Amino acid sequence: MTTLHSTSTHSRPIPNPAKSLITKLNMGTGVVVGVIFAFATYFAFRPAADASGFYNQQNKALLGAMLMWSVGFLIGIGAFIGPFRWLIGKDLTAEEQLYLAGDGQGIKRYFKYCTDHKVVGIQYLVGVTTMLAVGGGMAMMIRTSLAVPGGHFIGATIYNSLVGLHGITMIVAMIIVATGPFGNYIMPIMIGARDMAFPRLNALSWWVLFTAIPVLCSAWFLGGIPTGWTAYAPLSIQAGPGMNSFIGTILIFAVSTAVAGMNITATVIAMRAKGMKWNRVPIFVIGATMSVALAIPAFPTFMLAMVQTATDRVFNTGFYDANVGGSGWLYAHLFWIMGHPEVYVILLPGIAILMEIAPVFVRKPLFSYNAAIMGFAGIAGLSVLVWAHHMYISGWTPTLNGPFMVTTEMISVPTGLLFLVMLGTIWRGKPWMKLPMLGLFAVMWNLLIGGITGIYLSDVPADNYLHGSMFVTAHFHYTLMGAALTGAVAGLAYWFPKMTGRMLNEPAGYISFWFTQIGFQVLFLGMFIAGAEGQPRRVVSFAAMYKYTNMISTAGAYLVGTGFIVLLWAVIHSWRKGVIAPQNPWGAKTLEWTVPYPVPLENFDEAPIITSDPYGYGKGN
Amino acid sequence: METTTSTSSSKRLISALVFVVLGVAVVGTVGFTLHTLSADPQKPLYATKSSETIVIDGKSYPKASAVLGVYPDKETAAKHGYTANKHDYVQYGPSSHLVLPAHTYVTMTIHAYDGGEELNNPYFGKVVGTIGGTMNVDGVDVNSLPSTGVQHTWTLHGIPSSSQDPLFVNVPLPIVEEGDKGFLPTQDPGTNFEGHTVTFSFITGGAGDYVWNCEYPCGDGSYAKFGAAMSAYGYMSGKVTVA
Amino acid sequence: MSDNTQHEEELSPTPGQRVSNLFKRNDVRRTTVFTFLWTALFVILGLYIYPKFMPEVMSVDMKAMERIMVAFTVISAPIAGLVLGITTQALTNRHTGNTPPPDGPAVRTNGPVVVVWSVVSGLFCLIAVVWGLVELNTFANAATVDERTALHVEVVGSQWVWSFKYPELGVESDKLMLPVDRPVTFDITSADVNHSFWPLQLGIKIDANRLQTTHINTTPTKLGRLDVKCAELCGLYHAYMETSGEVMTSDDFNNWVTSNGGHVA
Repeated sequence: MTTLHSTSTHSRPIPNPAKSLITKLNMGTGVVVGVIFAFATYFAFRPAADASGFYNQQNKALLGAMLMWSVGFLIGIGAFIGPFRWLIGKDLTAEEQLYLAGDGQGIKRYFKYCTDHKVVGIQYLVGVTTMLAVGGGMAMMIRTSLAVPGGHFIGATIYNSLVGLHGITMIVAMIIVATGPFGNYIMPIMIGARDMAFPRLNALSWWVLFTAIPVLCSAWFLGGIPTGWTAYAPLSIQAGPGMNSFIGTILIFAVSTAVAGMNITATVIAMRAKGMKWNRVPIFVIGATMSVALAIPAFPTFMLAMVQTATDRVFNTGFYDANVGGSGWLYAHLFWIMGHPEVYVILLPGIAILMEIAPVFVRKPLFSYNAAIMGFAGIAGLSVLVWAHHMYISGWTPTLNGPFMVTTEMISVPTGLLFLVMLGTIWRGKPWMKLPMLGLFAVMWNLLIGGITGIYLSDVPADNYLHGSMFVTAHFHYTLMGAALTGAVAGLAYWFPKMTGRMLNEPAGYISFWFTQIGFQVLFLGMFIAGAEGQPRRVVSFAAMYKYTNMISTAGAYLVGTGFIVLLWAVIHSWRKGVIAPQNPWGAKTLEWTVPYPVPLENFDEAPIITSDPYGYGKGN
Repeated sequence: METTTSTSSSKRLISALVFVVLGVAVVGTVGFTLHTLSADPQKPLYATKSSETIVIDGKSYPKASAVLGVYPDKETAAKHGYTANKHDYVQYGPSSHLVLPAHTYVTMTIHAYDGGEELNNPYFGKVVGTIGGTMNVDGVDVNSLPSTGVQHTWTLHGIPSSSQDPLFVNVPLPIVEEGDKGFLPTQDPGTNFEGHTVTFSFITGGAGDYVWNCEYPCGDGSYAKFGAAMSAYGYMSGKVTVA
Repeated sequence: MSDNTQHEEELSPTPGQRVSNLFKRNDVRRTTVFTFLWTALFVILGLYIYPKFMPEVMSVDMKAMERIMVAFTVISAPIAGLVLGITTQALTNRHTGNTPPPDGPAVRTNGPVVVVWSVVSGLFCLIAVVWGLVELNTFANAATVDERTALHVEVVGSQWVWSFKYPELGVESDKLMLPVDRPVTFDITSADVNHSFWPLQLGIKIDANRLQTTHINTTPTKLGRLDVKCAELCGLYHAYMETSGEVMTSDDFNNWVTSNGGHVA
C-alpha cells in the first residue's frame, strides 16, 4: 500500500477504475452469489425423505449450504479478487486500491468491500447495535415468559431456543462491541496510523462476520436450538437441524475473530506513530489489543469443538458420544478453554474504555499506568488457566478442583489492580458528570458485585450448590452486561462526536442510563436471590416459591429494555440531527481528537510525532 | 458547547416517545407471535367427567376418563382422525394437551399400535403412580414390563412445589408383535385394529401444571434416540393441566 | 507523592503525623465515613440475606456452603466498602456543566499505595483460597464415608425424569427417600445426555454422564422435604426434570422400603 500513502489526501481526484470488476461488486452481488451457492449445495446433498441416515445427510446438506453461503457471498462481494490476482502474479492496481478505500463514494461504500478502517468501524457499530437489539428483544421475551410460574407464555421448544440464541447472539455481539467499532474506527487514529496494517483483511473480518448473521437467524426456521449457547455435547449431537445454524455461525465467526485479532494486534505493534513507545500508548489500545490477542489462541478451540460436533452429526465420528468411546468432557474442555478467556476478551476493552475516559473527565493523569497494564496482563495470563472451574461438578477428576480453585481466586488480584487504577484516577478529582463518565460509576458497583459473587462461585463447596442456578446467570450478567456493556456504551457516548460529527443527545442519554442501570439492579439482584433459593438456569417453568423474585426480575428487565430503546433513539436521532460537535468536545489529549470530522481518508495530513503519553492532565504537569 | 439544535425540544420528545412505543410494539409483536407459535396445534383434550364417584382409602372422588392413541406414523394417526402434526413422526393423539379435573379419579385408556426395541432406562418398564400400581393390558392386570417389551411410555410428571401437589404416573405400553390381535372394547370404533388397549387410573391432586412425555427412545436415528419425535413438542410430549 | 501540593506533607517528620494530617483532610474523612457505611451494609447483607433465602440446611455440606457465602461476603465487605467509599466520595465532589472541571493534582502513581493495595488484595485472596481448600478437604473427608454403613443409591438421569435405585434394598423409586444421620453414597449416571443431580437441601451436585458413574456422598442431618432438580440443560423438558423426596427417620424409611416391595438389610 505504499503507493497509496505517497499521494496527498486533499488534491486527489475520485478514482474511477471503470473497467475493473471491483466497481460492479457490492453487498447485493454478494447476497446473490451466496444464495446461489447455498441452494446449489443444499440441493446437491439433500437426502430423500426415507433415506437411511436421514439426519446425517440433512445435517450435511444444511451445514454445507450455510458455509457455502459465506464463501459465495465473499466471492460475490469481491473479497478474493486480490488473492486471485496474486495467484496469477499480479495485484490490484493503485487506482483499484484507492477505489476500495471508498473515498468520495458516500453512503455506497458502507455496502461494499471497503478497506477504510473508519467505514469498517461504522459497519461494525451498526452490526453490533442490531445484534444487541435482537438479543435484547429475546431477553425481553425470556423474562416475559418467566414473569409467572408455569411457562404459559412461550412453549418449551421456543423458550429453549430463545435462551440459546439470546446467549450466542449476545456473546458474539459483546466480543466485538468495543473492538469492532472503536477498535477499527478510533484505535488506528489513536496510535497515529493511516489505516490498519492489513486493510483488506479488515474488510474481510467484517464481511465474514456479516455472513454469520443470516446463518444464526436461520436457526429460527430450522426448529431452533435446545442446547443453550454452551452447546454441550451430547445434547448438541441429538439436537435437530437448527443446531447446524449454531455450528455454522461459530465456524464463520471464528474466522472473522482470528482475522480481526491478528490485524488489530499487527496494527498496534507495527503502525504506531513515531515516538509512541509502549509506555505512551493510550490504555484503551493496550486493553483492546490484549483482548483480541487473547482471542487468537482461545477461539480455535471453540472452532475445533464445533468441527467435531459437526462431524459427529454428519459422519457419526463419535468424538463426544460415550456409546462409541467419545466423551462429553472433551467438548466441555474445548469449549471452556475458549469460554473463560472469552469472558475477559469481552471485559478488558470495556474496562480499558473507562480508563481512557476517566483521566479526561477528572482532569488528572491515569493513576498508575503500570498497574493497569499489570492488571490486564495478569487477567489475560491467568484466564487461560482457569477453564475447569466450569467443570467442578462435571465429575471429571475431582482432584483437580483444588488447583483450579486457586488459579481462579488469584484472578481477584489483577482485577483489584484495575479497580485501583480507576479509583486512583478519580481520587481527589472533580468528576465531570457527562454521559461517558456516568458509566464509570455504574461499573464500579456492577463489577464489584460481579467480582464478589465470582469469589463464591470459584469456591468448590459453594459452587456445588450454586452451579447451574440462576445465581450464575446473574453473576455473569453483572460482569458482561453491568461492566463490559456499560463500558462500551460509555465509549459510544465518548467517541460518538468523532464517529458521527455530532453529540449524543444528553437528556435521552441520562434517561437511558438511569433506566438501564436501575432496571439492571432490580433484574439481577432479584435473580441472585432466585438462584440462592435454588432456581436452576434455563428453565421454561419454575416452582411457585420463586414467584416473587422472578416477577421482580421481569419488572427490572422491562426497565432495562425501555432504557435501551431510548438509547437507540438517542443514537439514531443524534446521528441524523444532533448538535454539531466541536473537534475536541471533551478536551482530551489522545490523537483521535486532533483530526477533524469527517476524518480524512488517511487520517493525518502530516504523520504525528509523539513526545509523551496522552495523560498530561493536572496541575503541575 | 452549542445549545442550538436543528429540531425543537418538543418535537424531539414526541419523536422519542413514538420511538419507544414502536420499539415496545415490535418486541411485543414478535413475542406474541412466538406465543401463538408455541400454542398447541390442536384443541386441548378435556377429560370426560362422569356423575359416578368412587371411594378410595375412605375418601370419595368423582370419576373422569380420557382416551389417547399412540400412532407409529402420520398415516396411522390420520386413519384415526388425527392430522394436526406436521412431521411424519410417531405421535400421541388426539391432543398433546390434556385437561384433567382436580381431586378426581381419572381413568385413562391408551390404544397403542407401535413396535419397539429397548428402553434407555429400564425403570420406565414399571407401572408407577396408578391405583394399585397396575395397569390393565387387554383385560389383564400388569405391574411392569421387561425393558425390551415396551413400545412407548406415558410418563406424567411436574415441578413439585408447595403450591402444586406432586403427581407422577408412569405407564409402559407393551410392544405390538406382527399379527397381534388387540383387545376390542365395545365402544371402540375400530373394528379391525392390531394393537393393545391399556387402561389405568390415578388420582389427581390440586390444580397445577404438569407435563407428560414418552420415556421409550423413539426418535430413530438421533443420539440416544431421543431427538426428533422425542424432542419436538407435541409428538411424544405434551402438557397436562389439572384444573 | 511527588507533586507540589503534597510537598508540606512530605516534610512531616513522623509517619504518625502524616497519617493524622491525612485524616484532617475533608475528602479523607468523608471517604472514611462512606467506607464504614458501605462495609456495614455488606456485613449486614451477608449475615442476613443468604441464611434468609437459601433452603433449609439438611446436611454438613449445605452448612459448609452457607458458611462460605456468609463468610466471604463479610470478609470482602471492607474491600467493597473502600471501593464504594472512594466512589461515593468522588460523587459528592462532582462537576456539572458544559465546560471541563479544573485540573486535579497531577498524581501519576503512588508506589506505596499500589504495593499496599496489591498485598492486601493478595491477602484477601489467600484467605479465600485457604478457606476454600480447607472446606474442600473437609468435603473430601466427609466424602470418604464408611462403606459398611453407607446407603448406596443409584441415580439415573433420563431425559427428563430422575429415577433412584437402592441396590441393597431391592427398591426403585421416582422419589428420593433417605434415612436421617446415615451416610449415603450416590452413584450417578445418565441414560442419554448430560444431567446434573441436585438435591437442593443437601448442598451437593454432580453431573450425570452417559456410561460414566460419578459419585458423591453426604449425610442428611435433618428430617424434612427434599427437592431434587436437574442443573444441566438437557433438552425439551429440562425445566420439568424435578422430583421431590424426604429425609425420614430410620423406622419410617424401613417402612417405606418394605411397603414398596423391598427388604430391609
